[in-house]
Amino acid sequence: MGIKSFSRKRAIHIMLVYTGGCNGCDIEIVNAVLSPKYDIEQYNVFLTWNPREADILVVTGPVTRFNEDPLIKIYESIPDPKLVVAAGACAVMGGVYKNIHGDIPSEEIMGPVDNVIPVDAKIPGCAVRPKDILSGVVASLPVLLDK
Amino acid sequence: MLNILITVALTVLVCFIISTLLPGIERKYIHARIQQRIGPMVLSPGVMAPIKFCFKENIKPRASVPGLYKSLPIICFIVVLCILAALVPSSYIFPAFASIITIVGLLKIEEVCYVFMGALSKSIMSLAMPFPDVIKGGAHLDVERSYMEDLSAKRALRLISYGSFPMYLAIFAPVAASGSIFLGDIVAYQHIHGPFLFTLSGIIAAVVFFVGYMILLNDYPFAILKTKADVIEGPYMEYASKYRAFVFITRGFLMFTLGVLFSVLFIGVPPNIFSVGIIVNIVVALIFVILMGIFSAFSPIFTNRQFFPAVIGVSVLGVLAIALGLL
Amino acid sequence: MLDEKKPRETIETEIPLGTVHPAALEPYRVRLFVEDEIVQEAEITIGVNHRGIERIMEGLPVEKANALTEKVCGICSNAHIWNSVRTAELGLGIEIPERASYIRIIMGELERLHSHFLYLGHGCEVLAHETFSMRAFYLRESIMDLLFMIGGNRVQYGCSIIGGVRPRCELTDERIRTLREKLDAVEKGAADFADRVTSDTVFISRIEGVGVIPQKQALKLEVTGPTLRATGVPKDFRTIMPDYEPFDFNVITQQDGDVKANLMMRVLEIFESIKIIRQALDNLPKGPVVDRSWEMVDCDTVHSYIEVPRGTLYHSYALEDGRIRGSIIRTPSMSNIGAMQYACIGDHVTDAQLCIVQCDPCFTCTDRAVEIIRR
Repeated sequence: MGIKSFSRKRAIHIMLVYTGGCNGCDIEIVNAVLSPKYDIEQYNVFLTWNPREADILVVTGPVTRFNEDPLIKIYESIPDPKLVVAAGACAVMGGVYKNIHGDIPSEEIMGPVDNVIPVDAKIPGCAVRPKDILSGVVASLPVLLDK
Repeated sequence: MLNILITVALTVLVCFIISTLLPGIERKYIHARIQQRIGPMVLSPGVMAPIKFCFKENIKPRASVPGLYKSLPIICFIVVLCILAALVPSSYIFPAFASIITIVGLLKIEEVCYVFMGALSKSIMSLAMPFPDVIKGGAHLDVERSYMEDLSAKRALRLISYGSFPMYLAIFAPVAASGSIFLGDIVAYQHIHGPFLFTLSGIIAAVVFFVGYMILLNDYPFAILKTKADVIEGPYMEYASKYRAFVFITRGFLMFTLGVLFSVLFIGVPPNIFSVGIIVNIVVALIFVILMGIFSAFSPIFTNRQFFPAVIGVSVLGVLAIALGLL
Repeated sequence: MLDEKKPRETIETEIPLGTVHPAALEPYRVRLFVEDEIVQEAEITIGVNHRGIERIMEGLPVEKANALTEKVCGICSNAHIWNSVRTAELGLGIEIPERASYIRIIMGELERLHSHFLYLGHGCEVLAHETFSMRAFYLRESIMDLLFMIGGNRVQYGCSIIGGVRPRCELTDERIRTLREKLDAVEKGAADFADRVTSDTVFISRIEGVGVIPQKQALKLEVTGPTLRATGVPKDFRTIMPDYEPFDFNVITQQDGDVKANLMMRVLEIFESIKIIRQALDNLPKGPVVDRSWEMVDCDTVHSYIEVPRGTLYHSYALEDGRIRGSIIRTPSMSNIGAMQYACIGDHVTDAQLCIVQCDPCFTCTDRAVEIIRR
């Protein structure tokens, strides 16, 4: 393990982008960061709101029409190496909003996130639990370390 | 001559290494402890994060003059380096360099850099975000639109015009007491008369210095430059890779350097790697970081309504300290 | 107290914030029109979250649609399913068992607790007071545990069904004991939190007189919920809901309509909610929790109102062959948007997000009835 992956493992900045989910996942993720009970900082994961600082982009929600361009722009702003973690059922496969019509395509939902930007890790759950976020972000790390 | 250079370089190097620990100490042992959580590794914010950023892709920032914008954090770092070099006793043989005027001038350069950073940065997070909000039916469609970093630039100007008063007043209090602007003379004066800190003027000036320290370092509650509630990270928004590493390093380094400045001006112990006095420097820097951590953990962000009275009140105290020192 | 805030005529620049911003828990765009860092006018643009839930609901079987209403909002999910089920029950004329009604109220009040703690935590975070924010989130965590215990999930519980509540949400003796224990701890923690907040002079000076909504304006803007009560209007839909008749609780009001009044409002409502839950636990009637002997008939459009953490929630739909026709949902944040824009006027830019947060926005709830124009 070189100094590159050694340092990368010990300082990870995640950025959270919510793209129109029901708020449940967003708050659970904020909970994972802000609640002393979960405290994501003890795994050296820091929350940032600046795409230039971020390593991991955590996306929640089914990517509504107005959120497509901002999401792409934010993704492009993150310098390499970067990872995208799709958190929640909506981000993983569109959730109820995309799939309830059956074969009829939804006009409002551009997602899931896979359709818009490449996704490296998927965390299922409706809504995702803070522990799942922690394990998802930590589990996606080996990919980041090798990049 | 070579001897002097080696002493200065070694001292600065040791100080730099210690300074990288300070942000981690603030985060892990002060903030996290107050907030009843475990907190990050001590090395994480100050050492590992800059190293990590060095290995990231070097992108072109969204800024008006990318070259100038990229060079600013390096200028800031060099400025802090110069301040620390001026404080080392070996450089007191160059009175023009090791004087209060030089230090104040260098600190001013640092502040001016923030104005440039804020004015140049054009981040994606506000105006550039692709969103159809200037549309038929919107309010005030003819108004000039600006990036949120422009707010930061304006606030940096404010900090220059009045925000950093406490710091400079506190720096000039020992000058008033010792009657010299040269660091060598101030240190020599304190060797004869005892530390300036233990006089009435010194105690008041130390309080003023501490407030000035927090304002200069932009920590909560004085972080109007980089308030999360509106400008997110303000001037630093667009730095990535190595330049962001410099931003991270400079912050810790400035913390340490200002602590050393305090110990030189108020206790009379200059940093020298070959003397035991350097322990005093480190302890003073640590005490400042701990106090700042406690204050920032227990206070909300200030707006003008709190910022003005705080700065004015502290500035009055600073004037009082200088007046007492002159008597 | 002034009746109206007068913005100055001149506007220097516009600062757009969003759609992704640290001070907002959900995507929306706010355009701030400032002069010398003082906000003269604010414009909130929603529609970013539009998922078309009402259109999805059209023609769905009513049980399925009820489950879907829960996905309208992740904070007050129980309120949505409760009100949607109530709409169907009103239309079909179903009387639910008394025990089910009590369990619904317990869930509703627990949800109010977690929503208010979220408000406090988020508000303190926008104020950059990380320590208070973490304390509020820590207290919220015990409420989330209780909701997890009863509902089986941390966010979407799916508690109410037509005719009562799901049998898995039955309150056994052990659950009641845990509820009582945790509520005692939460009450103690909330009292400690309130004590700390009110005794912190710097914090109080920071929030006092910021984001004022005068009572006259609040009534004019049709503000609802705690934001209205914080301006001195004792209007709470719970007082006229038949479900809440057996309970004895006070309608909390504050006078100033600023951030401090709003914050205190939530803190005091937390204690009232705990009081209601205690009463419900003490007088919990025996019997079944669900009555499945109802029959599906067609009915005309039914309207149902309910008091949720953010104000008055409205659901309406008609039933045809057991399927939903013409569903309309109006969430409290819809009527509070005017107040959010108004509260920003005359305050510093740093306070703008705080002024929006003080009205407890939930735009993901609100973004449904928006027409999307194809580009």
